[in-house]
Amino acid sequence: MDTIQAEGPKEEVVVVNTGCCHDCGGRCVLKAHVRNGKVIRLESDTGPEPQIRACLRGRAYRQRLYSPDRLKYPLRRVGERGEGKFERISWDEALDTVAYELKRVKAAYGNAAILFLPGAGNQGLLHGPIMPGMLLQEFGGFTRFWGIPSYEGALFASMATYGTIRTGNSREDLLNSRLIILWGWNPAHTIWDPETNLTLAKAKEKGIRMVAVDPRYTDTAATFADQWIPIRPGTDAAMLAAMAFVIVSEGLEDRDFLNKYAQGFETYRDYLLGKEDGRPKTPEWAEPITRVPAKTIADLARAYATQKPAALIAGWGPARTAIGEQYARSAAVLCALTGNIGIPGGYAAGFMRAYSSREASHLQKKDPTLKIDKSKGIPSSNPVENGAPPRPYSLYKLSGGTNATSARIHQSLIWDAILKGKAGGYPADLKMAYIVASNCLNQYPNANLGAQALKRLEFIVIHEQFLTPTARFADIVLPVNTFLEREDIAPPWLGSPYYIYLNKAVDPLEETKSDLEICRLLAPRLGIQNDFFNLSEEEILRLFASRRKDITDFEAMKRDGVLKIKLPEPIVAFRDQIRDPEHHPFPTLSGKIEIDCDHIKEMNHPRIPSVPKYLSHPEHYDTPLAEKYPLQLLTTHAKTRTHSTLEMVPWLKELEVRGVWINPVDAAPRNIRPGDWVDVFNDRGRIRVPAYVTERIMPGVVNVCQGGWYNPDENGVDRGGCANTLTRSEPSPGGAFPMNSALVQVERAPQEQDG
Amino acid sequence: MSRIGFYFDQTRCTGCYTCVVACKDFYDVEAGRTGYLRVLSIEKGVFPDLFVAYLFSPCWHCEDPPCLKACPAGAITQREKDGIVVVDPGRCLGRDQCPEKCKKACPWDAPQFGPQGDAKMEKCQLCLERWEEGRKPVCVEACPLLALDAGPLEELRKKYGEGQGAVGFKPLWRFRPSVVFKGKKPPAPY
Repeated sequence: MDTIQAEGPKEEVVVVNTGCCHDCGGRCVLKAHVRNGKVIRLESDTGPEPQIRACLRGRAYRQRLYSPDRLKYPLRRVGERGEGKFERISWDEALDTVAYELKRVKAAYGNAAILFLPGAGNQGLLHGPIMPGMLLQEFGGFTRFWGIPSYEGALFASMATYGTIRTGNSREDLLNSRLIILWGWNPAHTIWDPETNLTLAKAKEKGIRMVAVDPRYTDTAATFADQWIPIRPGTDAAMLAAMAFVIVSEGLEDRDFLNKYAQGFETYRDYLLGKEDGRPKTPEWAEPITRVPAKTIADLARAYATQKPAALIAGWGPARTAIGEQYARSAAVLCALTGNIGIPGGYAAGFMRAYSSREASHLQKKDPTLKIDKSKGIPSSNPVENGAPPRPYSLYKLSGGTNATSARIHQSLIWDAILKGKAGGYPADLKMAYIVASNCLNQYPNANLGAQALKRLEFIVIHEQFLTPTARFADIVLPVNTFLEREDIAPPWLGSPYYIYLNKAVDPLEETKSDLEICRLLAPRLGIQNDFFNLSEEEILRLFASRRKDITDFEAMKRDGVLKIKLPEPIVAFRDQIRDPEHHPFPTLSGKIEIDCDHIKEMNHPRIPSVPKYLSHPEHYDTPLAEKYPLQLLTTHAKTRTHSTLEMVPWLKELEVRGVWINPVDAAPRNIRPGDWVDVFNDRGRIRVPAYVTERIMPGVVNVCQGGWYNPDENGVDRGGCANTLTRSEPSPGGAFPMNSALVQVERAPQEQDG
Repeated sequence: MSRIGFYFDQTRCTGCYTCVVACKDFYDVEAGRTGYLRVLSIEKGVFPDLFVAYLFSPCWHCEDPPCLKACPAGAITQREKDGIVVVDPGRCLGRDQCPEKCKKACPWDAPQFGPQGDAKMEKCQLCLERWEEGRKPVCVEACPLLALDAGPLEELRKKYGEGQGAVGFKPLWRFRPSVVFKGKKPPAPY
């Protein structure tokens, strides 16, 4: 008989159709093989195409589910905040304490003193922060943040230019392109919808030319691109302006398209030609800024303008910079200049959402009588922010995705707001934090400032699965189960028409509970009588599903664990606007693509010009600070994590490219050899990580994948390699997060650790 | 006999390592140990002229397996019906006793041993138990790029061609490894 490895006696194995729903660029099919109440392995989609195959993150999930580090019982802090010393308490004691503190803070300071920090750790419709948010709303409301690090710059640009975030095409439509530009976009690691990488492979096989613009030679560039153009971080808008200059000065712009569908071309042309500042934005002007040869810029501009249809995919990473909106706006405007919008094979850049049932009616013309004047106050179901006037630099006149209320604090300023309160110009004095599915200390900029701020609060409660760096600061830690231990529905990410139904695979471990159960137990303690929290998971999911017209067969979705929706034709954003502009205006104030944006013009802010411009900022490569800290820091996504989630999974940990990426040209003069322990530091903090010396990053630039767990030693050196120990916390006025705009120095560290 | 083997499309491989994790999950290979398949990364050149490729690297189930000849205990055999090279841990002498003659004989490092001195050889057996259930190897069913396939070699050749080269693959065809490649175009010499 042949030997069979690793197979025990045959007991019945049940396959549970479920899925993966952390905050990466996919929601993928998982098939949990369960024996005796335990997941013994996870497989994925082998069914009809298009398959929704999980990546390594999902395949490794068993080690997260059964990690010895999972939180099992409610905990109460006994040491100092951040010290990580806790004692086990009962659920009753924990929930009584949380309820007492909520009521105490409300009575003493009012609801605005309650800071709610919902995170993206769970992307299901039901679990995660959704129910706690509803509960706190019924309790009288809370203060929260606006702005999402991933995309806020791209979102602002998308809204300003197009009036919507639905600017993406179905991925399969890329096969209609003649040229695809992958700008700051690395789906090999970030997934960007499960079918994206396979589609890029098919595009390559079809002979479609692909060009990657990125400071790193990413796996996406290495696998798919015919040409790699390394670019200095934070200068993307300069290269895009120079491309636009070439197109305009050579008469390659699509004048008919611009006349018909866009406004403000002339103003932008004046900027390009240097009529405002005397500096024409030529490729020669851009070369020393971007470090891209002028000829390379000009060649790409001509190719993009003449090889129609061409898709410019503007990744979010370059918009995660100090003035990131300008890059994202410049990219969208380049799409308009070349008329690559609304046609198969083209692409509009922008936010790039393609499919969403929730926003199915978003692009339809609004009934003007239903419009309310938001200038006096914006309605909200959160009593604390209801009626607050719009934030000065918000796109409040547009509908959807504008984060307009002034009652919220930009996420990157939360730590400053805790420390300064109303005296610092913030809307509230914050006294307690209610944190759900968020490792905010780790994932907001400037972690050391965050640690200071969290020590100042009177009370912190967190719903968590692991003792994260954030959880270490909590007074009460409520242990939450994972998506394999409860029911949920995961809507798709940005572009694909499908839903994942997450059937419960196994019972919750130890004493863990779902976020819904926690709310169910907390509601009566807060005096909230709402039967909604007493509904079962499935009842709530049926209710949610009934509001989505694309969920046509709940039973089949639950049975199969996935609902793949067939669209009559691939999505092409703005197809209707281009075909029939009279009946389908763009949802901007003017009804046109706003190269020159009316809404921004009213703001009259020098850092948000009404046409996109290349701007420097106080921590750019050309500022005095660069003499002290000469290296530009990128904080990209690791393929082995979803942000800081999955950090503790050994199968993934061993595959991680550890440490700071640094080019040999920068490593050699610093006496740094591959694998050496090095310190990466600036005025905000210092991390100690191994050196990954590689040609795959351009000289002058270093990269630390974000998500490593903040772990300061007694000298304040972060041994966990958290990228945000180094990042800036000043947002752009439009909301872009400066995660890729920090300057740092790197030096060889004592080699006492085991590399 | 219908020999079965692998197909690997190197031009599609992004180096995501989903196959590696799927294999470890299926066979319960803990972290820190080399699994039954590896993905090798090949990086060449100097900024900005770079070349990167990945090479899927399981056991290639050679028609003339060097490991089989090297094994002093007759623990390695080849299945008559499909050519899968299998190991009988009961006969394997163990890591230190042998020591690791099969691993040394294999140009592709397919045989693996655990950390203990008496660890028996383990390696990719082409998921032979899955074939019996009508399923392909777990790595093949895991690959998000559909860059992997497995099946009778004649069928693979009919479907994918006769490709024999991949960047980073040691071309020791004299052992007749059971694989069809779609290789990445090698870089120009730097």
